[in-house]
Amino acid sequence: MNFSVLSSQFWSLCLSGLSLGLIYVLISLGYTMVYGVLRLINFANSEIFMVGTFATVWVETGLTGHTNDSQPLHGFQLIWTLGLALVIAMVASGITAVAVEFLAYRRLRARGTNRLASLISAIGMSIVLSESARILSHSRPQASPRLLEKTSFGEVAGANFRIDTVLVIISALVMFFILDRFVNKSRLGKAIRAVSMSEENSKLMGINLNRVISITFLIGGLMTGAASFFFMTVYETTKFNVGFSLGLAAFTAAVLGGIGNLRGAFFGGIALGLLETMSAAVLGSQWKSVTVFVVLVLVLLVRPNGIFGEAIQQTRV
Amino acid sequence: MNKNSKRVLGVATAAFLAVGTLTATSAQAATTVTLAFQGPLTGDAAQAGQDELAGAKYALAVYNASMPKVKVNLIQVDDQGSGSVAATVAPGVAKNKTVVGLIGSAYSGASQNSFPFYIAGGLTMVSPSASRVTLTTPQAPDFGGPVFHRVVGNDSVQGPALARLATKGVTSPNVYLVDDQSPYGAGLAQYTSPGLTKVGAKLAGTDHILPTTGTDWSATTAKVKASGANVVIYCGYDIDAGAFVKSLRDGGYTGIFASGDGSATASFPKAAGLAAAKDARLTEGDTPFDNVATAAQKAAFTKASGVKVAGGYVTNTINATNAFLTCIKAGKTTRAAIGTCINSQKFPNFTGGTFSFESWGDIKGGAPIGAFKVDATGAIVYTGQA
Repeated sequence: MNFSVLSSQFWSLCLSGLSLGLIYVLISLGYTMVYGVLRLINFANSEIFMVGTFATVWVETGLTGHTNDSQPLHGFQLIWTLGLALVIAMVASGITAVAVEFLAYRRLRARGTNRLASLISAIGMSIVLSESARILSHSRPQASPRLLEKTSFGEVAGANFRIDTVLVIISALVMFFILDRFVNKSRLGKAIRAVSMSEENSKLMGINLNRVISITFLIGGLMTGAASFFFMTVYETTKFNVGFSLGLAAFTAAVLGGIGNLRGAFFGGIALGLLETMSAAVLGSQWKSVTVFVVLVLVLLVRPNGIFGEAIQQTRV
Repeated sequence: MNKNSKRVLGVATAAFLAVGTLTATSAQAATTVTLAFQGPLTGDAAQAGQDELAGAKYALAVYNASMPKVKVNLIQVDDQGSGSVAATVAPGVAKNKTVVGLIGSAYSGASQNSFPFYIAGGLTMVSPSASRVTLTTPQAPDFGGPVFHRVVGNDSVQGPALARLATKGVTSPNVYLVDDQSPYGAGLAQYTSPGLTKVGAKLAGTDHILPTTGTDWSATTAKVKASGANVVIYCGYDIDAGAFVKSLRDGGYTGIFASGDGSATASFPKAAGLAAAKDARLTEGDTPFDNVATAAQKAAFTKASGVKVAGGYVTNTINATNAFLTCIKAGKTTRAAIGTCINSQKFPNFTGGTFSFESWGDIKGGAPIGAFKVDATGAIVYTGQA
């Protein structure tokens, strides 16, 4: 154990953990939104994330013509390129999420099949998307150019406030806030919450079930797409299987916080990001997964619905 | 014609036919034989496998152009550098009796998982790059004898060389050692650590990370910074090394970054980006082809392989291939004969002189370890022996 690292790097680790955790939050929203409405774990969400990362690379290289040797951009050109990459990543992931719902789940739902069939269908879609990307990319990693120069706003107590870290933290917080308001205050958000509470009663109230479910997938996909853009801005490399480890982490975050619960996913994601970073620093990186899953099991033993699963039940999607 | 005469004539005819058949069979067998190249031809590590394959193609093209009695074909076996994939492709190669020798596998884990099939099939292997020490340690459970041989220096040679190279010219070297927990990475780290003591370096700390795509390296970076290390050695593979050094540089680390042969491919600077990869120090148990080949040889290499610039372990692959070709040229065209030949003969070294194998599969006298660095253009350039 290396506690000495905390004396000089505690705030630096907190900042890294928060940034990583907020990426988990955005991905976990894709899991938690769908689970809240359908009681279905959308295993294909990890590949929806992967599609977003590839879309980001495509925009930053294929569409705007930058190469890995390109110099960082500045001013309007930087904002335009990154903004375009964010929007297209979100759209690509959103469309993929809706397509997954339409192709893999809707017919099964219409035929009243059991949840196991949907689960297998979800895994099937996940594999189809992942393997397709593997074939198309020849299994090679795809790197995005460094368009955003990683300048620092300064150091506070050893924590380096780098522009990409700050961008992730602020943007993810804003996005989560907007989504939370949307789900809780808007008419459509209320419809989503109504479906999550009772499909039958929602139908009786005149809610178009298929439309609401598609919109739920779309919103989850948009959030996951945003996560993929932020991920590429920080880490700059993706591969066909990038969604596996990140998707698993985000799913864990959703369960830790209380799956089906937006704010649970938020706190679960941040807790997981901090826990991973701190355990890797103190115990060693080899203990990171062990620590995370031991904590998860312990939490579930005490609170089977996750940390916030019951406390914020009313805000369930 | 009496009965005896008929019998004699019958026996003579039968004998003539038998000899004729045997001659025809042996003539047919000696016309063409097949060698296999096994390595990662797709997947993460494809660059390493494709680089080596180019070397094998070149050596074969030179051999076949010399109008030999026995022509040699090459088949490609893709194990993706993975032990589990190797275990699925090796049985087919072992059963294919037209294959008389195997160049590979490129990676240690893939070699290990291929051993049961090749040992059972008596198929001799000569690897250009599998460097795990225990593959040629007779007492080890993953010993590949009697079929496994290699022309690369093993990690007990590379580890100390990596320690020497990483700390060369550094005042009061304080080293942070990180491995990727793979059999290769952990093994290399195991032999690098004692090498640090020998060169008078201090071990600032260690970390063992299991990298996947998208691994967050910030915790390791924070520990490196907290330790005050001025040298970081990473024992693992190219793409992860690229992500790690990028994280280190973004985190403000300005010291030396060094890594072993697993990172000495074009994928490393590509994954790291030029700014982060520049001046990284790398070791590799190989002398670069471009440093020893003549202009004519370079042209022939490009013609044979379709590759303009030779990558890593090309020279080693040429040596491994030439070991088999020397035996075939000497009329050894069965697995058994080639096995005996590889274990007993001397073979031409592309860099000059000859080499032969110890009974456990390593090169007699040890193989050299080259020192490399990433230059300002992202190219990995040879700087001499490590």
